[in-house]
Amino acid sequence: MDTAVHSRSTRTPLIFLGLGALLFVFGSWWGLFIAPAEQYMGDVQRIMYVHVPTAWNWMLGVIFAFICAIAYLINGKPKWDARMEASVEVASLFALLLCIQGSVWAKPTWGVWWDWDPRLTSVAVLLFAFLGIIALRNFVEDPVKRAVWSSVATIIASVDLPIVYFSVKWWNSLHQQQSTPQTVSSAFHLPLRINALAVLFLMTGFIMLRTRVAAARLSEEMAPPPMVPGPAGELA
Amino acid sequence: MTGVVTGGWGYVIAAYAITSLAFLIYGVGLIRRAGQISR
Repeated sequence: MDTAVHSRSTRTPLIFLGLGALLFVFGSWWGLFIAPAEQYMGDVQRIMYVHVPTAWNWMLGVIFAFICAIAYLINGKPKWDARMEASVEVASLFALLLCIQGSVWAKPTWGVWWDWDPRLTSVAVLLFAFLGIIALRNFVEDPVKRAVWSSVATIIASVDLPIVYFSVKWWNSLHQQQSTPQTVSSAFHLPLRINALAVLFLMTGFIMLRTRVAAARLSEEMAPPPMVPGPAGELA
Repeated sequence: MTGVVTGGWGYVIAAYAITSLAFLIYGVGLIRRAGQISR
């Protein structure tokens, strides 16, 4: 068992979490109280400063889980399995938040909490696929089978990510197309970028800490069984 | 208040509160679990 991940200090992830939290407070304060309200959506558009950074980083989390799954299948090192377990869980949390934030934004602007629009549906599909992978990991006791099966499942589930990204281009969708710096007012750039960096730091800290927890469980599972003394005192 | 959509602040506060609370609960839980490993 490679214990390199397990023995790593929690100091670095805590620094990431601390920096992320500070930046998130600053970026949110800027987005809520300094940046102007949008012309048509008014103050509701301020949800963008938390929704869009969550979406960008969720995509990065899914890509990282995909890379970990490929890496595990290639080299079989448990540290990649631990990283995959961590990134799948964190990406699931981000996908859930994405759906909730989107619903809260959809109600005042679209008039509904949810719509089976291609973007929303494809995100929900990936969320449930990742929740299924978490369930699979909890049911399979053999660590090697668990790692291989969940790697394959993560790779298959990640195929949905390009569909999520291009859904607003491929289909006539309720959800708006991706914005670019050219299509977003410059007054909105700074809080959006600060919160994007904040959520990136938070996600990095979460994945590092969760990897540590997963690696510790793997170390226990793959440790050799303890020597049991026989009736005459000799080791079995 | 500017814009066509009115009454937006309640939704804005809800989105930020849910997100912040989720990050906080998940983060604190992870820190505790990682701390238990160290001991």
